[in-house]
Amino acid sequence: MDKSILILDKGTRCTAWNYSGQRLVAGLDDGTVVIYDSTDPASSTFISTSRFKARESSITKVFWVPPEYGDAVACISDDGKLSLWEEVTEDTEEHHWKMRKCFDGITSQVLDVQFGDGQTCLKLVAACSDGQVKIYELLDTLELEKWQLQAEFQNVIDLVSKFGNATCVSATISWNPQRSEGRQSSFVLGYSSNTPALNSPKVWEFDLDHQRWLPVAELSLPDDQVDEVYAVSWAPNIGRPYELIAVATQQGISIWHLGSNPEPDGRLSTQNVAMLSSHDSEVWEMEWDMSGMTLATTGSDCVVRLWQSNLNGVWHEQAVLAPAG
Amino acid sequence: MPGMTSDSGEFNSLSIVPHSVETQTPRVYPLRTRRVAAPFPRLSITWARGNTLRVSLLQPGSEQNPGGEVVEVKLSNADGAEIADAQWRRIAYGSVHPYALLQSRKNSVDAYHGDKDWWEHVMEYSKEINSLLGDSKSSVTPTIEDPKTVLNIVEEPTSLKAAWELMELFYADKQSWTWIPERLLDWLADFDCLFSATQSTVHARLVVFQKELVTIQTVENVPDYWEVISSALAVGWLDVVVKLLRLHGSYQLDQLGSRELENGLVEAVAVLISQMPRLRPDLPEENLGECYNTKPEFMKAWEKWRAQITKLDCSSYWLQCDHQQTRVGLKNMLQIMLGNANTLSNVTYHWIELYISHFLYIRPFTTGLESMFTLAQKCMHLKPISNHHKLMGLLVGILEENTEVILAECSRSFGPWMITHAIELLTAGSTQAEILLHDEQSKLGGICIEELHRLIYAQILSSHALTWNIAPIYLTSCSKQGLGLLENLLYKQPVHHHQVLLKSIEICRLNGLDYVGHDIMKIAGVHYWKHGKKGSAVFWLQQAQDEVRLNRIAKHLFDFVGKSVSDESFKQWEGMIELLGTESKTAGGLEFLKKYRDFRRSLQQVQEGTTIDEARKAAEALVSLMRNPSTPQQFWLHIIHDSLKLLNWKECPLLNVSQTNLLLNKLQELSFARLLPGFVDADFPPEALKCVRLALATNLGRSILDE
Repeated sequence: MDKSILILDKGTRCTAWNYSGQRLVAGLDDGTVVIYDSTDPASSTFISTSRFKARESSITKVFWVPPEYGDAVACISDDGKLSLWEEVTEDTEEHHWKMRKCFDGITSQVLDVQFGDGQTCLKLVAACSDGQVKIYELLDTLELEKWQLQAEFQNVIDLVSKFGNATCVSATISWNPQRSEGRQSSFVLGYSSNTPALNSPKVWEFDLDHQRWLPVAELSLPDDQVDEVYAVSWAPNIGRPYELIAVATQQGISIWHLGSNPEPDGRLSTQNVAMLSSHDSEVWEMEWDMSGMTLATTGSDCVVRLWQSNLNGVWHEQAVLAPAG
Repeated sequence: MPGMTSDSGEFNSLSIVPHSVETQTPRVYPLRTRRVAAPFPRLSITWARGNTLRVSLLQPGSEQNPGGEVVEVKLSNADGAEIADAQWRRIAYGSVHPYALLQSRKNSVDAYHGDKDWWEHVMEYSKEINSLLGDSKSSVTPTIEDPKTVLNIVEEPTSLKAAWELMELFYADKQSWTWIPERLLDWLADFDCLFSATQSTVHARLVVFQKELVTIQTVENVPDYWEVISSALAVGWLDVVVKLLRLHGSYQLDQLGSRELENGLVEAVAVLISQMPRLRPDLPEENLGECYNTKPEFMKAWEKWRAQITKLDCSSYWLQCDHQQTRVGLKNMLQIMLGNANTLSNVTYHWIELYISHFLYIRPFTTGLESMFTLAQKCMHLKPISNHHKLMGLLVGILEENTEVILAECSRSFGPWMITHAIELLTAGSTQAEILLHDEQSKLGGICIEELHRLIYAQILSSHALTWNIAPIYLTSCSKQGLGLLENLLYKQPVHHHQVLLKSIEICRLNGLDYVGHDIMKIAGVHYWKHGKKGSAVFWLQQAQDEVRLNRIAKHLFDFVGKSVSDESFKQWEGMIELLGTESKTAGGLEFLKKYRDFRRSLQQVQEGTTIDEARKAAEALVSLMRNPSTPQQFWLHIIHDSLKLLNWKECPLLNVSQTNLLLNKLQELSFARLLPGFVDADFPPEALKCVRLALATNLGRSILDE
């Protein structure tokens, strides 16, 4: 059953739903951010409830902060600037949106950010156009103003090599959605750049003993000429003995199994279980459903594709949703 | 587009359930928009709760058009789209109790050693579920009141009910095994109308004939009359047949005299029909036939009955019957009863009708699925149909004992609700199915097929705000991944809605997911804190035992209280501390605030009425507050300054030497702390500090003299 639930404002460039699917944030090309809310949990009628000017230039990406830290969104604008806005109600006033942080310290353009590890301490991974990955940590659980740069590195397996003159056009990050406190925080990150070594998706894990981030797996085949990576998506794991990560490159969508226990060299075992051809050219977005069984993708052919593994473990395209007309 | 089938599907048939057999090309489903039109430069996707996908279709800016539209797609309905939403929710809610009861019975050892066999529990469950699927009144029951109404048109049953009853009779109801052909006959009587939509059936013929009947004067002259009677007889609807026979013109009083012989023949056939032996324990009251419980008894009666038919068939009375249609019609009926395969084939339409007629008149002793399947194949061969009804796929799967086909048919044609609930019947009735369904599959991430279907059904329930709260019942019956999915479901609940929050916490509590409950309460607490509902915020954060945030809030309150300690705004946060209640031990800072409030109260009383007892009480509160290690430094000076009245008490010193020393030491400590980094300056005027020192010195002197 398909049903139209919301008409977006003129000039909408990007949208994002919050954790419960009750609020939508939209970034507009004049730098405005619009918030749409549903009236009650059972209803799917959404109305625009707030709008504020976040930047002078167009907003290209918007993200919600995990709900444990309030109702807040991060926006990336055309010029690669990252800012953080929060909805607050002060004293007797109506609720309104306040800028909490502008990450001016990042001199290069921010291509993608993702919030993660909400359990213990909020972390923010930002992938920048110079190939640097920056990880910020929130210092105070109740104040979104105070961030500290925790780490900065390049997306390479060999920690020694440095690529000085990398130019990246896009980046994609996906945190391990696992919420249990015992686990180390980890994420996967891929680039689309002129430097193949930076491109291939790598899984980064925080090493608590040495207080640093380590690459624990690389999601590309040894003889693969590493393409530009369009999108990565880490599937929710509701009890599988392995992790599931989808990677979209020029060659198509590949599905990877990632072992849970490290091998003697500290790496996690990887296995490419499917290579699916799709979307003709670029893949824009990939997202797993809440059980981690179905992958939805969208790309430059303007359709939504649904992928699933059958009972024999063979991945295939299950359905296509195409805009009518 | 390459690699796609050309036919555009309806969403109702969109299934995201994994099967072992797949079609090669994915189907295309249209996303219908209201206000925007393709092409779209950008699509954005997000999964909402359950299996709801939201697609943002963005379009380039122009003056007239909106910037885009969001379309919500619910992937696969629970029921295969036959039933209206409200009705389906009734079924979903109704099936929770029998399902949960069966699961709990399964888990208790007694179920297997009690006085009931396991299948009896399953039968109880099946009956309860079946009752949710609609009234089971047969549509071929004749009504007596109106002689012209042979068929009682009731509300059309659903295929879902028909499928459930099939599963029940083949897998759950062990008692029906000895008379399964008769059970199938009853089943067809109830559901033959379902096949009428796509092809001609006995039921459809009867419906048409009934409409004509009102206008017909002498029925026996109409060929349709005899055709319909024969067809009804072939599928065993004896009541209808006898009722129709009695409409024969020879029964009319004015003709009885002239058509005596003819009437005798009609009545003889009617009597034979109503005496037909049936291999079944009982019959509903209104149905005809004579029941026999055991095979030998039945066999004896059957042979006797057949002999009577043969005798009638060979009777010389037929030659004297003048009415040709009657003669031919009745003889044809005798052929049916004698099991003439050609006649049976001629008077039936659907293969399953032919199948039933074979059971009734040719092979009444057919037992065992293998022989039943062979017979079904033969009938399908004789009556090939172009349009296969989904029930036929299921029936064939059952007859050929192919569990995979049954599962695929159940889930594809009848939806995840059906498969989730019917698996209970299947595993109870077939060892092969039980092995297949309970075998853990590494390719499914270590779960079994039974669990997979439960997860899928629960995910569909989660998609809707009105059904998500029954999903946990199904998830908790999944041993491997149920709780994982339940966690994800709970994290997606909009917890700033109070009812949803309470329900979520309840579900966490019932399922031992305290840590999820704490996270949910944390989210609610932070939401309230940020939106100015500080009391609710503290309450929920305390429930969540979130020390980190509570300490932060305590610090925030100190800052606030610290600024306003001497003015009247005390009341503002007094209520807040009240809310913290007596269980505010979770954070030391908050505990201080409560003590501080008590101190302020007693101090106020001292200012109003001035008895020495009240003053002493206030002095004790002051000392205990200053002794308490959780009292923040920034408050020390304020507290002592507020207590000047106590220190300068005229009648006698209220503090003894050691108590005064304690306060002096605190002052000393404060002046050292001033030198350390991170010191919070209390913003205290130097004159006030002098007053404090003087008062303390005076008090010390007086108390030394006293002692």
